[in-house]
Amino acid sequence: MSIVDLTSMGEPQSEQRNEINQRLSKLKDEISDYCFQCAKCTSGCEAHKLLELEPHKMLALLKRGLIDEMINSDVIWTCMSCFKCRERCPQKVAPVEVLFALKNMAVASGKQIPGKYTAILQSVLSIGATQGIQEVTTRDNKTKRRSDLGLPNISKPSDLAKFQAGLMKIAVEKV
Amino acid sequence: MKKKYALYPGCMMPTEQYAYEISIRESLPILGIELVDVEGFSCCGEPLKSVNQLMTLYLSARNLAVAEKNKLDIFAPCAMCHLALSECKNLLGNSPEMKERINNLLSSEDLIYEGSTYIVNTVDLLHDHIGLETIKQHVKKPLTGFKFATHYGCHLIRPSEIGRPDNSENPQKMEEILKTLGAETTDYYPEKLDCCGGILQINLPESALTKTGQKLKAIQEYGFNGLVDVCPWCHRMYDARQTKAGETVATKLEVPVFYLTQLLGLAFGIKKEKLGLDLNLSPVDKIKLGEA
Repeated sequence: MSIVDLTSMGEPQSEQRNEINQRLSKLKDEISDYCFQCAKCTSGCEAHKLLELEPHKMLALLKRGLIDEMINSDVIWTCMSCFKCRERCPQKVAPVEVLFALKNMAVASGKQIPGKYTAILQSVLSIGATQGIQEVTTRDNKTKRRSDLGLPNISKPSDLAKFQAGLMKIAVEKV
Repeated sequence: MKKKYALYPGCMMPTEQYAYEISIRESLPILGIELVDVEGFSCCGEPLKSVNQLMTLYLSARNLAVAEKNKLDIFAPCAMCHLALSECKNLLGNSPEMKERINNLLSSEDLIYEGSTYIVNTVDLLHDHIGLETIKQHVKKPLTGFKFATHYGCHLIRPSEIGRPDNSENPQKMEEILKTLGAETTDYYPEKLDCCGGILQINLPESALTKTGQKLKAIQEYGFNGLVDVCPWCHRMYDARQTKAGETVATKLEVPVFYLTQLLGLAFGIKKEKLGLDLNLSPVDKIKLGEA
């Protein structure tokens, strides 16, 4: 899992660069893009230690406009969204938010969504929750259901059809 | 004084992490908290942020609007939910344009988002709103002689610009609550702020387990009697997946993992069975709590 070298001769993609800026300014009004490559983000990155994510390099690629390179890379999906990069950046840049934008753009462009994200999305669309009620086992191997534990019914959208309609509308809107 | 909150359950707690919900419903009323079950809630949208942030925003706004309709503040015990809801409130408070867009869509469900709902999590509810003094008055069986490590969960303490329940680099509220319950803690251990890896469980489960294993291994080596958390995603990793996590770090892990509300209940003298302690899959029997 690696992305192109920063010295690549790739052509900058200004349209996508603008889209990222749009997304960030509309959804995250308190962050900046004045990255000066101090790499403080990478030094504390939870995914760096384990999966070689280097947030400061993503920001450098963003500045160069090499967006496709990132969207096509698996690296963007290694972020654990711990928000340390955003918290610690001396310039109020938020690599974690750039990564969310990149992942959103990868999904919107029709690339395969990794892991169980599709299942979670389908579950939220169909029942309003990321998963249905699960049976669990106790430490001594007894099966328990929610109803066995004296817990009330789960809160859910009162009109599922209307809920789904709203969600489908927002799903196709542009930021 | 009785204070009412809508219990916003999210998804993980009410479909799987029952011990958290059971211990919340059992222990918080003792402190004068009335939990109201409200019809109409859905997912907060946080797990879908990587897929579609606009959808996350919409889902959070809709849940806040449901609480507003019932004229209630929200108690969100899950750190992920608490972040999504707080971020939504923050953004829509600063962007009338986005607020109008979201409200146009919410109207189909007869909902309207104004931004009047206050959002709390377990940590600030106990520490800031109920207060240590009140908690102390209800302690009947202090957790004397046990030393716990804490895990706050990344989403609970960052990003601080939008306001989080505790300090992003040096959170201490759980420590103060645990001390009030008679337990010992430590202000800091090197892995205290490490992530549980929970989000990666969705697409890179092996790496997620390694994150979990590394932190638990350290906690075990330091000799803590257990780990205390407040997020159902984190708890699922540390408790239910502990044995598997141990395999990733080639260690037999035996760290008792508790929800803070379970320890709260034990210190209040509530029986184990009523706090869902049989549902913890980590070896919580290793330490004899609440039996004296």
